[in-house]
Amino acid sequence: MKRSILMFCLALTSLASCSSTDDSDKNTSDGFDRTALLTYTADQRIIPIFKDLQAELTLLESTRAAFENNPNSAQLEQLSAAWLSAYKVWQHLQMYNLGQAATTSLDAERGFRTYFNRYPVDQQRIEELVAAGDYDFEAIPTYNAQGFPGLDFLLHGTSTGDAQAIDKFTSNTLAANYQQYLKNLVAHMQQVNTRLLNDWQNEYRATFINNTQNGQDGSFNQMANDFVFFYEKGFRAEKFGIPAGVFSNQPLPDRVEGLYKKDVSKDLALAALDAIENAFNGKAYQQETEGPAFKQYLEFLDRNDLVQSINQQFEDSREAINQLDDNFYLQVQNNNSQMTQTYDVIQAAVPKLKVDMKQALDFSIDYQDSDGD
Amino acid sequence: MKKIICSVFIAAGLFTSCSSDDDNGTNTPLNPTPDVYQFERNGKSSVSYGGQTDRLMMGAELGSALKDPANTQAVLEGMFTNTGNHFENEALNSSSKNIRSKTAASKDYFAANTTESNVYKADFDTWIANQVNEVFSNWNTTASPGVAGKIEEAGGKVRYVNAKGLEYDQAFMKGLIGALVTDQILNNYLSPAVLDEADNREQNDNELLATDKNYTTMEHKWDEAFGYLYGTDNAANPQLGADSFLNKYLGKVDEDEDFSGIADSIYNAFIAGRAAIVNKDYELRDQQVAIIREKISMLIGIRAVYYLQAAKESLGTDPAAAFHDLSEAYGFIYSLRFTRIPGTETPYLSDVEVRDILSELTKNNGFWDVTPATLDQTANAIASKFSFTLEQAATN
Repeated sequence: MKRSILMFCLALTSLASCSSTDDSDKNTSDGFDRTALLTYTADQRIIPIFKDLQAELTLLESTRAAFENNPNSAQLEQLSAAWLSAYKVWQHLQMYNLGQAATTSLDAERGFRTYFNRYPVDQQRIEELVAAGDYDFEAIPTYNAQGFPGLDFLLHGTSTGDAQAIDKFTSNTLAANYQQYLKNLVAHMQQVNTRLLNDWQNEYRATFINNTQNGQDGSFNQMANDFVFFYEKGFRAEKFGIPAGVFSNQPLPDRVEGLYKKDVSKDLALAALDAIENAFNGKAYQQETEGPAFKQYLEFLDRNDLVQSINQQFEDSREAINQLDDNFYLQVQNNNSQMTQTYDVIQAAVPKLKVDMKQALDFSIDYQDSDGD
Repeated sequence: MKKIICSVFIAAGLFTSCSSDDDNGTNTPLNPTPDVYQFERNGKSSVSYGGQTDRLMMGAELGSALKDPANTQAVLEGMFTNTGNHFENEALNSSSKNIRSKTAASKDYFAANTTESNVYKADFDTWIANQVNEVFSNWNTTASPGVAGKIEEAGGKVRYVNAKGLEYDQAFMKGLIGALVTDQILNNYLSPAVLDEADNREQNDNELLATDKNYTTMEHKWDEAFGYLYGTDNAANPQLGADSFLNKYLGKVDEDEDFSGIADSIYNAFIAGRAAIVNKDYELRDQQVAIIREKISMLIGIRAVYYLQAAKESLGTDPAAAFHDLSEAYGFIYSLRFTRIPGTETPYLSDVEVRDILSELTKNNGFWDVTPATLDQTANAIASKFSFTLEQAATN
């Protein structure tokens, strides 16, 4: 009898103690099947997106070759369309900075996106590299001169001394160099994507799925971090906050995504929002079926309230974005309050993802957003 | 007897819980709360708030510059954003900090409200522009209703006002007490959204220090709140009056016998909260936050009421003195929107309430027209939001 009271007391004391200091290397104890979630994410989302981007880049390359043979404005328009189509697919992939992708460039924060979507690009740098005719797309001096933003300049921007975009491939004295740069750039994007896709298919898929540990290096933790990071930085800050001047003393219209084409910033942002919503809800890539993801994990833990409020935020964001000009460069200059209002709606989801969802799913955030001092 | 055994166990469990060293089974002795704001780790100070000191010093220089008609709008704007090397103190020019980016920029009030934040920032931009274009350009004109210029107090002091009698530099400087200092302390650095951001708690629990620093991120955030109030003062023995912002007016209000002790209450709460972080006691920490939020908010309310009442006394006899008090009142009233009712997400007066009061004070010919009745009414409306009376605040 005394003993059972003692046990009861012990049980009480252990209940009273804090749960926040869990050891980071222990497996998840909430009963949710993280292996199934990771398997589904790899097979129904990440790998299919890499494959789709591969197909898009192949099309981009054949369109480019056709343009090289016939550098006229009709071919350039086709190339531009292929660029936009591939760029939108990229929006779905950017949040998966996992495995080799995370270390494939020397930019530790951006990882593989260094080669796909680091902007703004440095037009002067591109012109210098083209003139030199000697560059390595994996070396730091080219980091601001490549990817979809680099192509954006090549296809839509006007080089120094030219009258229009196409001149750099026709009348410019460096036309041959420009063609070569374009060719090498597309080829490099293909190479990187092939390399990463192969790794996923041959090696990394198994590593990813089997790494169910709960610490910072666990797959779920990394993926959740990347997801929140993409929402906060890649989507909220880069596509809206930075051009709207939220982090500076004045708006910075030349920091929009798709600066040279200009009327595509909204399209790209909406594609990114689709990507975010689909990743949250566990939609299989380009299909209507859903599988285990953040939403299902939260529902498993009886947090339908949070699922609903997060999805509502996404809808509110979409509604606000839809009201904006297709061209964010103009939007920021003509009506920046509408841009900051949209930013404010998008921001409202950050604590839900970064605090509420983080606590519910017990992952850790490995970055700080505030600059401090 | 059995009950006693049980409660002893529970008590023991409560003591060990929440401390970082649960796993190895030893109790970490609690660090005593020091008498002064000094904290060390490995024999070296773990306190740091240089960025706050920089901004207070930038504010001081900008305050003087706003009174010198030789300055251009570009120079004053450059000081506000710290661009163009306009500070006399070279160290400030090379500082990565600036005031404007932290104006109306707290996480709690403005992270998802950047549109409103921009409206506040634009107010300060406008005050700078108007000071140059309306007041500097009329520096030698005698002010009258509807005409900006100079106006002399009975004691000989000359004030420079706009067409409504408002000193823009007072609106600017007293406005910054709310929009910069109070907002950053109460609604940013003392907010759980900042103190507990990302893995700050886990890191603080395990004393994982920020990269290359002698503090945990949470400790540092708390220090930054402290720095906005004491950043140019002696942290171990605050003298008050060390700046033209909150520190100065904390000293003034503490001298009023109705509020004497408020300075100690705030200082001690900062010490206790910082010690609570060292001891990983977040409940105690947040109790100190509530104290600081209440007292600093009250301080702003007291000064707003004080200046309104002071102006009432001199309105008929010494308009320049009254206008000066009203200009100070204007800035303190503006600052009320950045106060914080403890336990809520809201200020003591809302944006709409503040704007209504300010437009009432500045309608038509502004301070030239304002009546003692309006000043009483306004002062009462503000005092009614707080726990002090109009009479308590009116005396100094």
